[in-house]
Amino acid sequence: MHPEGLREAGLDGTLSRQTVLSLLIFAVAWEVMSHFAPALGIPAFAIPSLVRIGQSLMTIAPVDVIVTLARVIGALLLSFVLGLALAIAMYRSPTLESYLHPMIRLFMAVPVVSWILFAVLWFRGVEFRIAFVLVAVCGPVFLVDSLDAMRGVSRELRGMMRSFRPTTLQYFTKLMLPAILPSLITSWKINLSLAIRVVTIAELVGAVTGIGHQLAVAQELFSVADVFAWTLVLVVLLFLLEAVIARVERRMLRWRT
Amino acid sequence: MSGPLPIEVRKLRKVFRQTTSGQSVVAIEELDLRIAPREVVAIVGQTGCGKSTFFDLMIGLERPTSGSIAIGGKTPYGDFDHFRGQMATVFQQDRLLPWRSARDNVKLPLELIGVHEDEQRERAMSWLERLGLGGFTNAYPHELSGGMRQRVAIARAFVLQPAILLADEAFGHLDEVTAAELRETFLALARECGSTAILITHQLEEAIGVGDRIVVFGKSAKLLADIHVARWDKGEYAILREAIQATLQCNEQDSRLIPSERG
Repeated sequence: MHPEGLREAGLDGTLSRQTVLSLLIFAVAWEVMSHFAPALGIPAFAIPSLVRIGQSLMTIAPVDVIVTLARVIGALLLSFVLGLALAIAMYRSPTLESYLHPMIRLFMAVPVVSWILFAVLWFRGVEFRIAFVLVAVCGPVFLVDSLDAMRGVSRELRGMMRSFRPTTLQYFTKLMLPAILPSLITSWKINLSLAIRVVTIAELVGAVTGIGHQLAVAQELFSVADVFAWTLVLVVLLFLLEAVIARVERRMLRWRT
Repeated sequence: MSGPLPIEVRKLRKVFRQTTSGQSVVAIEELDLRIAPREVVAIVGQTGCGKSTFFDLMIGLERPTSGSIAIGGKTPYGDFDHFRGQMATVFQQDRLLPWRSARDNVKLPLELIGVHEDEQRERAMSWLERLGLGGFTNAYPHELSGGMRQRVAIARAFVLQPAILLADEAFGHLDEVTAAELRETFLALARECGSTAILITHQLEEAIGVGDRIVVFGKSAKLLADIHVARWDKGEYAILREAIQATLQCNEQDSRLIPSERG
């Protein structure tokens, strides 16, 4: 990873003194608590030592991380394409928008857990269930953000572009998409953290692979060390993905600097 | 580009319905105007007289309520796509795409008509050099001054070598020295390209300095005067300016206040 990306993720070794100190304090407090837990009446497994967590981290199979990552990226790409396509259709047709808009609002109000239950009740395939939940949750965010951004493109630029008589495709590829790119990148950032959390819950309920599934296994085994280790992996994964997006953002929006 | 095109405006009327009150506003009452091929016409009038509406109708962004505009026999609204690559515009603000470099902004109209990539780059570079921006081809709009950005906008219009050239208050926001320089460049390029040009302005100096003809709009684009500048000696420009000013102030006065046909 590029050093700047690592810096954004806070993983390039240039963490601020305060950050390092606060992490250190947390680690020391955790370690102290793990030693004194039994004396306080807390079961030893509830607060495992850092060594035990480290051992759990060493046993983590990369395949589960890859599976979760693939699910997140695949579903986000699908959500993005569908959301953007619908947003363009709604931008071009006020009639379509007037019918779809209430439905989108309704979709956005449905809790994630309900989507997961619907997926389990309606569909059989695990992958399809997870993809359905992620698209149902992330798709509307892409749609609404894209539509708002398209409406925000200045009247002056739209008039200028139309005065040169572009085709519909040219109008969107040369004006609309570059103009809404900053909003699209922001949407990706929001949806990324949303998708990581949603996919974990979805895997927790119905999958036999992935980080969510491993968390469910750890919970069944009462292994707090494993739960802690997998959570740590999730957090680092999110930071890394955010750093990738930040790098893409810098590259694609370099005209703003 | 195609050959030079005449413009014929007949009984043009444009009425807008206000969305809040539902009332009708007459932007253009009934306008008749003929512009010969290669002619450069400056349209002057006070704010809110319908100049910008006329500009939008000329581009084809608005549909006339009644009457017609014919450019070489085709209407800019009805035959919208017919004018692709033939009509270019320069606006009050540069309206450059901020994510494109100066060169890529100038290339834009050529991309839209499917000119080969190499030719696009070559023509864009050539026009930027002609406008004194050879050293700024890779600069983004925010890295350029207002005058430089307007030069890029002019290059973007002329790169098409358009049959019809429309400019709406294109130099009004620039300082007088830059504006005068760009007006001169604009006029020279319009003559060189053989474009029929319409320049909308509220500045009389600009209208007199650029136009072969000056058309004076009153309220609702009522034609107050139609002046052939060439028939006036340069020494009479001060009188001409005062006469136009008086006409605009009176607004409703007869166009006979200024002799539109001399000689």
